[in-house]
Amino acid sequence: MYAIECKNLTHYYGKKLVYENLSFHVGEGSILGLLGKNGAGKSTTINILNGFLQPHSGNCYIYGEDSQHLTPANKARIGFLIEGHIQYAFMNITQIEKFYSGMYPNWKREPYWELMAKLKVQPLQKISTMSCGQRSQVALGLILAQDPDLLILDDFSMGLDPGYRRLFIDYLREYAKAEKKTIFTTSHIIQDMERLIDDVLIMDYNRILAQQPISEFMKNFKQFRFTLDNPQAVIPKNELIWNVEQIHDKVECYTYASEENLKQYLSGSQINYTGFTEVTMSLEDAFIGLTGKY
Amino acid sequence: MWKSIIYKEWLKIRWTAIFSIVVVLLVCGFVFLKVSHDIRTTDANNFWYSILFMKYNFFTLLKFIPIIIGIALALSQYFPETVDKRMKLTFHLPVEENKILLQMHLFGTAVLVAVYLLLFLLFFAGCRYYFPIEMTVAAVLTVLPWIISGLVGYFMVSTIILEPIWKFRIFYALVAFGFITLFYIRAEQAAYAHAMLPLFISAMMASISILFSGYRFRKGEM
Repeated sequence: MYAIECKNLTHYYGKKLVYENLSFHVGEGSILGLLGKNGAGKSTTINILNGFLQPHSGNCYIYGEDSQHLTPANKARIGFLIEGHIQYAFMNITQIEKFYSGMYPNWKREPYWELMAKLKVQPLQKISTMSCGQRSQVALGLILAQDPDLLILDDFSMGLDPGYRRLFIDYLREYAKAEKKTIFTTSHIIQDMERLIDDVLIMDYNRILAQQPISEFMKNFKQFRFTLDNPQAVIPKNELIWNVEQIHDKVECYTYASEENLKQYLSGSQINYTGFTEVTMSLEDAFIGLTGKY
Repeated sequence: MWKSIIYKEWLKIRWTAIFSIVVVLLVCGFVFLKVSHDIRTTDANNFWYSILFMKYNFFTLLKFIPIIIGIALALSQYFPETVDKRMKLTFHLPVEENKILLQMHLFGTAVLVAVYLLLFLLFFAGCRYYFPIEMTVAAVLTVLPWIISGLVGYFMVSTIILEPIWKFRIFYALVAFGFITLFYIRAEQAAYAHAMLPLFISAMMASISILFSGYRFRKGEM
């Protein structure tokens, strides 16, 4: 059984199609990052997964249960981080731990207080008076204490400075791997994902562009750079060339094809060039290459 | 889990509840202090005469206290849940969604009823101290609809706050206004004596209206 399985998900906001027949799954124990531009449907997917949005059609299942009708026992297995690290801000860190500990039978308070000890906050300081970074640690600490099997994190990096982002990711990855937890996460800072995820799901408007292990994706998806002899030449997108960024005679070409195949294609199309090099990409480069800058 | 839910709800409403109790004590104290003062200065016979035959209402000050307390309690309990859509956190807790909403509502109602009970008992005791049972019953029957209107105010404002769709909010606000106005149409003492039961049953029916707002919130309707 998959931790998460979505089948033929279609959703509209009014008449605007968000996506159609979206299907994907997340295996138990894996960390999957959902990437997409703003408005591609990342938060929509998270909301459907948590039962906070009814899809137009299709279903999502969490541990085999329809996400629209999750039982309390199944909800106890899911740790949910809301975008912006939203928590009950009218409580202080002691009160919120006391509240949640009564809700979850397997509550483990040690990881929460271990994380709280790193923060320079008073035990009676209200969460509403904390910085975004401090709030993120409270939210993370609560999820770790809940000890869920599946963590659903909606844009965990939002509002965090680099230090807190690194702290969040390192803690999360170590925890997930040690405890064999499943994570489904989105983040608008893609370099964060590179340190965290095993599998990547890249969405564009209305469709999935890629879903595979991140190592495989980074190995197969390539960027080549070269200079055209004739700046007027136009390199079209086609089955071989996924995306092209061209400024005058400088070309960045994104493809799943090998260097050899691309060179053959360029020669066959009478396109002459110099300085052909493969560029090592970060996940962010690959994401932009796949989805385009606009 | 009950303990945790009560704990969270209490953290939200405690200051409103405490402030409401202080207000009830002060207002009841003031009402009967004034009764005592009026009896001493205008003569008891004249004071009774004005109440019995000139429709003088010595407790008008109490009129809007229950509804103000009801609305204040609804705001302090449910507004923090809608800021940043924190209700998502509540619905994600390992409890069936309608059940947790009703538990929250039940606790809020219990606190409200406790405050109203204090108001009722103080008022009843004060009346019995200064007036015979017939006048006390008439006064109590006048105050009771105001108290029931406070419950309606609490139920309807909770529903309005939690409601995610503006057209429904406006609809609920109109219904609430019409419903609550019913309790304030007649000013005579004990005017609602025969309508008390239907009014109370209607008020109790309003208590579950929050489930409709909760459902729409959960389904992400906009």
